[in-house]
This record gives sequence, structure tokens and C-alpha cells, in this order.
Amino acid sequence: MNLTTRSSIFQRVRRNVSTTPYLHLATTATIAFSLLIIGTFALVYTNISDLIRSWQDNIRVVAYLSDGLPEGRRTSLQQRLAKLYGVGEIRYVSKDAAMDRLKRQMKHRLSLLEGLQENPLPASFEIRLVQGWQGWERLDPLVDQIKQLPDIEDVEYGQAWLRRFSQFIAFFRLASLIIGVLIVATTVFVCTNTIKLTLYTKRQELEIMSLVGATDAFIQTPFYIESLIEGFLGGLIAVGLLFGTYRLFISRVQSPHLLLSSGEIAFLSLTACGALLAVGMLIGWFGSYLSLKRFLRP
Amino acid sequence: MIMTTGAEPVIRMFHVHKRYGSQMALHDVNLTVLKNDFVFITGQSGAGKTTLLRLLFLDEVVSQGQILVNGIHLQRIRRAKIPFLRRNMGVVFQDFRLIHSYTVYENVALVLETTGQQKRYIQKRARQVLRMVGLEDRLHAYPQRLSGGEQQRVAVARAAVGNPLILLADEPTGNLDTTAADMVFDLFRQLHTRGTTVIVATHDSRLFEKVQGRIVVLNQGCVESKLTV
Repeated sequence: MNLTTRSSIFQRVRRNVSTTPYLHLATTATIAFSLLIIGTFALVYTNISDLIRSWQDNIRVVAYLSDGLPEGRRTSLQQRLAKLYGVGEIRYVSKDAAMDRLKRQMKHRLSLLEGLQENPLPASFEIRLVQGWQGWERLDPLVDQIKQLPDIEDVEYGQAWLRRFSQFIAFFRLASLIIGVLIVATTVFVCTNTIKLTLYTKRQELEIMSLVGATDAFIQTPFYIESLIEGFLGGLIAVGLLFGTYRLFISRVQSPHLLLSSGEIAFLSLTACGALLAVGMLIGWFGSYLSLKRFLRP
Repeated sequence: MIMTTGAEPVIRMFHVHKRYGSQMALHDVNLTVLKNDFVFITGQSGAGKTTLLRLLFLDEVVSQGQILVNGIHLQRIRRAKIPFLRRNMGVVFQDFRLIHSYTVYENVALVLETTGQQKRYIQKRARQVLRMVGLEDRLHAYPQRLSGGEQQRVAVARAAVGNPLILLADEPTGNLDTTAADMVFDLFRQLHTRGTTVIVATHDSRLFEKVQGRIVVLNQGCVESKLTV
């Protein structure tokens, strides 16, 4: 494609936009609205995923020991624990240390503990897992292995409820994907029809171009360029609106650190924003492709 | 454009039939047009003149028979090659078919833009052809601002601007007064002199005297006679 053809194509892009501005606005707004919904899902999903990941990273497994375990057997047990795959740091918490911790946690209700004749709390090992190793499918077998060791009374990991929450998130991800695909399909459908309207208003012009020797590429290229621009602008508007809403939301949320361990709700990454723009352009391009394919069918 | 006096055929039609539903528009037409011929297709309204021209630039396809243009079999041509076939033809449509959102200049220049000519050449050539049809002062006017005759001259300029090998004109002087008709016909003659094969569909018998050529008379879709004048 040489300079003249390119300049002619861009001239036609300008002309098309100026002759049917509302159709172009409608396409851009439709893409923007769809991407805004998709972007909102992505924002919620990434933040909840980050939250779950950070909680998962802090999972501790507590192995309670039999009462009166001699130090020699305890040391041997700790060595056996350390050899298990996935076990990181092991910290011994004696019966007394457990009681001190409980007292610190119940400092306003110490009277409840005063009547105790002896310390009922068991000694335990607090086991941290190797960084990056965590995963539900690995955690259960590890817990089973620990339970089978001698002198282990019980094993628990406090964040067991996280498993159910993670399952909910997996469902949320699947639902988001399905909704996302439906939204993209609907948007492509709307774009295809809007572009068809543009083509319909220009059908005589396009027919004449074809009759004087214009190739399909010469005829189609301006429409593809327009759609890509509309998709890009739609994406920009969506990211802008999402960012504005995000800022507004963040400024109103009291103590966000209560919700998230990292202390803040993160906006979409640059890559995710770029992906939204790319999806917008792809929607525009595909809408053009479908309508042009039908319109220029021989 | 290469000038030739050779007699190689540029258009060959073999037993061409064209039907629109049950109506037969052309019936068993056999025609050979040689390079640099000047051919008039004539006949009454509905004789099949326009249909015959439309078959040549593939605005319609034959129902039966074969057409070869510059050795290209029109029934076998690939869709992607059709624009290149059309670039060798200039067509003056009976209803002008100008783009109303384009100026006179843009309508004419479009033909050269599709072939990717240099901008400077496009400007020079489009102005030159518009001067030849007497529209140099209407470059920036839009077609709806022009009279029927002026629109027809724009259509002629557009057909001629690409120096086509074949010029097809459907009633090119139908809306023109004598002076404008002469101007347009002079342009056809110039193109013919430079080697262009010209085929004019007309029922205006006055045109036959203006140039030495062949006359093909159509009657109800059949070739009734072929004459040389």
C-alpha cells in the first residue's frame, strides 16, 4: 500500500466519521460499556485472588503433642517433621508458652483462667510451609502425614475455611468468564449491526468504488481502521471510568486494611489495562469483519 | 497507451444468453470486438444494450455462454482479480453513478487512487481530463449541484482518466446538448486515437456519423445485424 492509497484511506476514515458521527459514537459507547463491566469483574477478581493468595501464604499448621513428651522424643519428632516435603520453619510452643499466649489474648478476662488447677493446653509445633508451596491439593496429604507420626495428638490449620472461600472464588472466576464471553459476543453483535448501518448508508459509494476497480482491501480498510480506533477509544473510556470509580470507591472505604492484608485495594495492572484496550480493538475489528464479510459477499 | 493497428480480439462473446427470471435479456449473442475498434451497440429500449455492457465489466454474469476480455475468461475469473479487470475498463453509466459525498475532482481522482498512482500525477491527470470535458471550473462542486449534462461529463471524465484499454459507455450523450455531446465525443475519439477500444451503447443514430466504426444492432436480445460505417 503506497502513500496515495494510505492518504486516500485515511481521508475516507475522516469522511466516514464526519458523515455518520452518531453511529460511530454508538459503537464506541457500546464497546466502552461492555469493557467497563468486564473491567469491573477483573478488578474484583484480581483483588480477591490477591487476598486469598496472601492468606494462603500465611497458613500455619499446628500439630498438638501428647502430654508429658520427653525432650528427646520431641526433638526426634521435630527432625522427622522437618524432613516432610513442604515443611518450612517449625516452632515449638510449650504448654507454658501456650498458656502465656492465651493470657495475653484474654487479658481483660483473666478471671476465667484463674480457677484452673493445671495447664490444660497441649504443647505444639507451629509449622510454616515452604514459600510458594501452598496449595489445597498438597496441604491435605501433608496434614495426613503429620497426623500419622507418633506423639501427635491432633493437627489443625486455622484457615480451613479458606478452602470453601477459594472454591467460591473459583466459581466466581468461571461465572466471570462466562459473563465476559457473553458480553463480548453481545458487543460484537451490536457492533456488527452498527457497522452494517454505516455500510448501508454508504452502499452506493462502495458499489461504485468496486465498479471503478477498487479492491476489497481498498474498500474495507477504512472500516477496519475506524473499528480499531473505536475499540481503542472504548477501551480508554472504560479504563478511565473504572479508574474514576475506583478512586471514588477507595476514598470512601474506611480502613481498607480490615479487608485486605496488604492494606489496599489495587487497581488493574498496566498489562490488564492494555488487555482491555486490546479486547476493545478486537471487538471492533471482529464486528467489522463480520459485517463486511456479509456486505461484500459476491 | 500503446497504439496498435493490429486486429487481435479484445472481447469475444460466444453464444451468450442472459436471463432475468423467465425474461430473456440477451439471446445467443456472438460478438468479437478487435483492439482499437469503435463499436456502437444500438437498438430500441429494452433491446439488451445495457445488459451486454454490464456483462463485460462483470456487473452481471452470463446465464449461458462464454465471454473473454483480453483473453480472460469472465466465467472463471477469481473474485480477487475482478478489480484488476475493471481497471482496464472505463465505464460511463447511464445513471452516472457518481458518489454524492465526493466532489467532482474526488470522483474522478478516485479511479487513480485505487491504483495507487502518485498524488502529483493524480492531480495533473484528473484536472487534465476535467478540462477536456469542460468542467475545470467545477472541480470542488458536489454532483448534486451539477446539471444532468455536467454529471454525465464527470462520469465520462472518470471513465477516461485511467487511460483504459476498453471504454464502455451507456448512452453517454443522452443528457447532453449538442455542444456538450460533441465535447464528450471528441474525448472518446481522442481515446480511440490513442488505442482505446470504445464500445458505445446508444440509440442516437447521429453519433454513427461522427466516427468510423462498427454498428451492432440488437433487437429483443438478439444481434439483428452488424454493419461497418
